[in-house]
Amino acid sequence: MPELLVAKDLRAYYRTGLSGWIRAVDGVSLSLNEGEILGVAGESGCGKSTLAMVLASVARWPLCVQGGTMHVDGRSVPLSGGLKGDGSHRGTVVSLMPQGAMNSLNPTQRVRDFVFDVLRSHDPHVARAETLDRARERLEKLHLPARVLDAYPHQLSGGMKQRVVAVISTLLDPRVLIADEPTSALDVGAQRALLALMVELLEQRIIGSIVLVTHELPILRNVAQRTMIMYAGQLCETGPTEEVIFAPAHPYTKALMQATLVLESATKRQRIEGLEGGPPDLSQPPGGCRFHPRCRYALEACSQSVPPTVVPSAGHDAVCWWLAQATPPPTAAASDGAAEP
Amino acid sequence: MSARFRRYILTKLVWYLVALLAAVSLNFFLPRVIPGNPVDTIMAHFLQSGGQGAAAGKMYQAFIAQFGLERPLWGQFLTYLGDIAHGSLGQSFSLFPAHVTTLIGQAAPWTIALQLPAILIGWILGNLLGALAAFKRGAFDRNLFVTALAFSSIPYYALAIVLLYVFAVVLPIFPASGGYAFGTIPNLSWSFIFDALSHYLLPFLSLVVIAIGGQAVGMRSMAIYELGSDYVNYATSLGVSDRRVLGYVFRNAMLPQITGLALSLGTLVGGALITEIVFSYPGVGTLLFNAINANDYPLIQGITLIIIVAVLLANFLVDMAYGYIDPRIRAARSGER
Amino acid sequence: MLVRVRFLRTAIHSGRFNTSLVLVVLVVLFALLGPVIVGHDPNAVVGSMNASPASHPPLGTDNFGRDELTLLMYGTRTSLEIGAIAGLVAVLIGVVVGTLAGFYGGVVEEALMGATNVLITIPAIVVLILLSVALGSRSAVTMGLIIGVTSWPWTARAVAAQTSSLRTREHIDIARLSGASGFGIIVRDVIPYILSYLGMAFTLQLATAVLTEAALSLLGLGPTNTISLGILLQWSLLWEAVRQGVWWTFIPPTFFLSVVSFGLLLLNSSLDEIYNPRLQGGGGSGA
Repeated sequence: MPELLVAKDLRAYYRTGLSGWIRAVDGVSLSLNEGEILGVAGESGCGKSTLAMVLASVARWPLCVQGGTMHVDGRSVPLSGGLKGDGSHRGTVVSLMPQGAMNSLNPTQRVRDFVFDVLRSHDPHVARAETLDRARERLEKLHLPARVLDAYPHQLSGGMKQRVVAVISTLLDPRVLIADEPTSALDVGAQRALLALMVELLEQRIIGSIVLVTHELPILRNVAQRTMIMYAGQLCETGPTEEVIFAPAHPYTKALMQATLVLESATKRQRIEGLEGGPPDLSQPPGGCRFHPRCRYALEACSQSVPPTVVPSAGHDAVCWWLAQATPPPTAAASDGAAEP
Repeated sequence: MSARFRRYILTKLVWYLVALLAAVSLNFFLPRVIPGNPVDTIMAHFLQSGGQGAAAGKMYQAFIAQFGLERPLWGQFLTYLGDIAHGSLGQSFSLFPAHVTTLIGQAAPWTIALQLPAILIGWILGNLLGALAAFKRGAFDRNLFVTALAFSSIPYYALAIVLLYVFAVVLPIFPASGGYAFGTIPNLSWSFIFDALSHYLLPFLSLVVIAIGGQAVGMRSMAIYELGSDYVNYATSLGVSDRRVLGYVFRNAMLPQITGLALSLGTLVGGALITEIVFSYPGVGTLLFNAINANDYPLIQGITLIIIVAVLLANFLVDMAYGYIDPRIRAARSGER
Repeated sequence: MLVRVRFLRTAIHSGRFNTSLVLVVLVVLFALLGPVIVGHDPNAVVGSMNASPASHPPLGTDNFGRDELTLLMYGTRTSLEIGAIAGLVAVLIGVVVGTLAGFYGGVVEEALMGATNVLITIPAIVVLILLSVALGSRSAVTMGLIIGVTSWPWTARAVAAQTSSLRTREHIDIARLSGASGFGIIVRDVIPYILSYLGMAFTLQLATAVLTEAALSLLGLGPTNTISLGILLQWSLLWEAVRQGVWWTFIPPTFFLSVVSFGLLLLNSSLDEIYNPRLQGGGGSGA
């Protein structure tokens, strides 16, 4: 089955001062299959939110896309955003559900008016009544009250706002929904409702697939079939979520999982181990593997050149020198996702 | 109109009435800060500045009665309030027996004709320019900002003096003083209107240019701030057109600008009055200037009272407009003091 | 410390900051050193009436034959004096009222802010007119005081907002837990945080005070028996200098008033940009 989305070698840097660049996303490649939820996890500052912006084609100054390509359903999608681009693909092919829905809705505009504006930007002749009908229909389909349309944002609760944003982001039936930390400001009940909504969107085939950016592992376990781990702007590991969490291959992932508590009976016997040091300065990232200064398995090769991709098991790969040495060489079968950086 | 909006109006109304009372009290008590019989002091000043003895005697009687000096201070205050309620602001000293209200009534239309258009046009044009600069950025923004800042930071009368000198003395295009040609009687003929307009232009320009500058500077900051907000990013990310997004930004940035308008009304009115002095324009400003020079207390007090009431009223109207436009207030909270 | 170093580095690179700082410093030097260098009494008659700069360099004489340049120096100094006093008074009162309101919140805040808001809506110029008329004669210091006393509400409101947001920050909680008194916390933990903001408030108050003094002088309510920029303008207007084309008596004071005001406001806005980098102009909005 052909992949829904293929992104190769994405690079996006932030401009600092007069001549500096912060290499927030530096050579990330990924692919998405129809009907799946791909989780993107990592520490704060690893570049996952930036990646979300690039994938959703909304990168704008001071974030500049420096390279890479993206194809959805085989067709190329432009990566740069900004107020002056051709916006027809936004919302219809890829769509962003931003972090912090609290502020994503215009405080002085009713939801229904915003819905009208969004829909008529893509179809100038659509009638207002028609857009409201579509919106109401969609809300009903997703088991949400239609009265939210008449409300101003401040009249809705945080959880409801996030769900409204999820609905609006998918109103144009985009192929891919990029959700950036959608659950961060929500309580557990609201989180559950939002995740249920997202799964519903997939099941009803309103959207094709979801990229879920989050740092909360329990959420990934709940909904994401596959997960990518990012560190310092690059990919470490990609694979089925259960494997990535419970049988991590990459040293960074191992450290990350060991530093997290997952509420299971096995936890009683687990020790939390922290990781020394902090994430590197992305304006001058370390050479070779970016994790090597903090890695307990670091080899000489790690500081000198970019590590190869290793495939410890089917559909599961990691980018690491130590792994390359310790495991048998990868099979000829192509792995999901990562191309050579 | 929701109950909360009603509460908003009521709260504001109460505060404004408090302000009015405070101002009227200030207006009454401040001149009486000087010790001694105020009428005597006033008469002394009056006679010093050339008042005539015969009239003085009559005035003295009239004022003793008017001020009710035999009563205690609080009694005088109540008399004062009572007089105001009846629409009487006393009689002028320097132009006795003319009533203060009549004098102000003659001068006020000239001032209003000058200030109201200047405020409105300044506000609208200034906000448009500021929003445009915020959107375009680059060279247009930088040039506009510095120019607008330059204009908004010089006082109204400074520009007035420069304009007067350049366009009425060096290049005698416009008349140098007055509201209309000396010696003519105001009437509604075309020649008079044209004459009045040519006298009107320089004072008007000196007000409106600075008002535009001030608004542009403020609006630019607000618009820049709004342009970086999440809802702008989100709307753009869904393909909403630039023009429409700008419309959101403009509307949201305007709200604080309305408050800004209310806050600057006080200084605006004061500055505009001084501008009149530069042009000897026959409005309230010149009237005040003459009154101060002649130590004409009733007239001074009457004018300051009218100014206070006008500014408070304008502020109140602006607050009402703001409360109506901002849906967060209309639909939700009451005033936030 | 690092914050200050970073501030200086950004400040030096800001063209706006440099220009405005230079302007302000030049004016201050002119006002402070000028009288010292020149030496003689500004009221001394040194030439014929209304002599033009051509016949009596460098700036001609006024209607009484006094040297215009000397008058300008003394006038600028007095105006700045009045502005500084007013600014100081306004900021002091504003800080006290604002920090008390913002820090204690609740009823205290409501009462103080309510009073402040009432005072803000009453146009200050009106109160000043009434006060000046009542006072009969006014020295420069008195003018500074009354202007300061009528313009503090603006600073108070701004300081209250800042303090109020600081109140919920952790280091304040820590200070409270360690048993520091309210006053102690305000002085040691709140004020250092808003110091830069107070500096900006002071420059703004100074600028408006200088202009207010000039406005009052034009009305005939300026400092008595003193020379200030406003008084110079008032004399000039009274003696019909504009219509007679005697530009050296009114253009220089107007120019100086504008420069002082513009310089200080530009300085203020450049400081604002340094503290809020988003306001800086720069790259386009497109990717």
